Amino acid sequence: MRLITHNMLSSNIKGVTNGFPLRIEAEKVVEKEVDFNPDFLRNMFSKIEWKALTDASKALGYAELPEETEPSMLESELFLRKLHHALLELHLEEGALVCPETGRKFPVNKGIPNMLLHEDEV
Amino acid sequence: MDFLTLFCTATASILAGGLYWFVCVLGSAEQKGKAATQLSGGSIAHEKVQDKFKQYWTFFRRPKEIETAEKVPAFVDTFYNLVTDIYEWGWGQSFHFSPSIPGKSHRDATRLHEEMAVDLINVGPGKRILDAGCGVGGPMRAIAAHSGANVVGITINEYQVKRARLHNKKAGLDKLCEVVCGNFLQMPFEDNSFDGAYSIEATCHAPKLEDVYGEIYRVLKPGSLYVSYEWVTTEAYNPESADHVEIIQEIERGDALPGLRSCKNIAEKAKKVGFEVITEKDLSSPPAQPWWSRLKMGRIAYWRNHIVVTCLAWLGIAPKGVVDVHEMLFVTADYLTRGGETGIFTPMYMILCRKP
Repeated sequence: MRLITHNMLSSNIKGVTNGFPLRIEAEKVVEKEVDFNPDFLRNMFSKIEWKALTDASKALGYAELPEETEPSMLESELFLRKLHHALLELHLEEGALVCPETGRKFPVNKGIPNMLLHEDEV
Repeated sequence: MDFLTLFCTATASILAGGLYWFVCVLGSAEQKGKAATQLSGGSIAHEKVQDKFKQYWTFFRRPKEIETAEKVPAFVDTFYNLVTDIYEWGWGQSFHFSPSIPGKSHRDATRLHEEMAVDLINVGPGKRILDAGCGVGGPMRAIAAHSGANVVGITINEYQVKRARLHNKKAGLDKLCEVVCGNFLQMPFEDNSFDGAYSIEATCHAPKLEDVYGEIYRVLKPGSLYVSYEWVTTEAYNPESADHVEIIQEIERGDALPGLRSCKNIAEKAKKVGFEVITEKDLSSPPAQPWWSRLKMGRIAYWRNHIVVTCLAWLGIAPKGVVDVHEMLFVTADYLTRGGETGIFTPMYMILCRKP
């Protein structure tokens, strides 16, 4: 699971008011190279919850993203390359996504996050 | 080498080649697609497939009388564990129907039907859209390639997520496509997070249509569009006719459907959750050519596949239950065909909605 996906997942357990973002417990992280496409990144940028991305990226072992951003950064290739790496090239293969309110762990196996709720969470 | 030895060797080679072709090549819906020797019960262990099938068949005995609607998702998951490999093998990666188009292959007709869905919701590169009930991702790939939009698919079946990701990677579309394992009745996405959504012949698995519509409405950004291709009974359906009822009930049973809705009720359910209905249309009505002709052609393929699957099960290569599942799908295909020919059922009732 890449961080572009993590950035939109939230815990939807009954009664939880703020299930976003899910905290990451990483057991196995893999890096897979992907073609660099600046236009794609610029398009995606406005949709990203930045703090959630920086926290998630650190959880996967990559701490190069700036804490704050401003629009002029989208012209910087260096920034875009870091964004590219964090968003698309880091994969959480094994681990868990943790609900920020209840602590419930959603397992990630072989890169697949299983977000199915148990009967009592619905 | 004397003539007799040469003759025997040649005959044996031809027979071996023929057998290989029969088992591994014929029957496959696409070149380099799933082979019969790879059939499994999805996430179900080899020896448990037949039992799981029996459980499934008993549960869906009388779909409209299912009291325990909460159990439906688990049985839909079981259904897809049982059928996903057979569908990929015998049908392709897009688990849905399309109007047939003279002169075009099934694959092309399917792709055009999928591309039309994304054209209707008017999205392009940089937009993020939801595929509710994405299967192994056939539509997702065609749609991402055609529109350039980022597609996030959700399916309740973990085996399908695995298959979808594999296909996405092979197609070079894993940057645009992502798949999550979840229940579309409780989606793990924030409110107002998608620029558009579509569901192709998937919402029929929800016990109550408004529940899945409500979730899709929730995760869409205001101003976005949602298109759904629904499985429904048409105005021609007569609930007093024993024949009609039998056809619909057997379709429900063989496809894990808790109860088919009528085309007359779809718009009201969309409006109930807050959508504005822009348009609705039965895409199978003329001049569209029959969607069921592909099923009818499958009758010839059935017997060939039946032999292959039975042999593989006997050899222990395929799980025993796969023969039962294959048979169920064939019987169901017959009812689907009758549904199409009598005009009482359509799998492509299109509804286009907007979140205000």
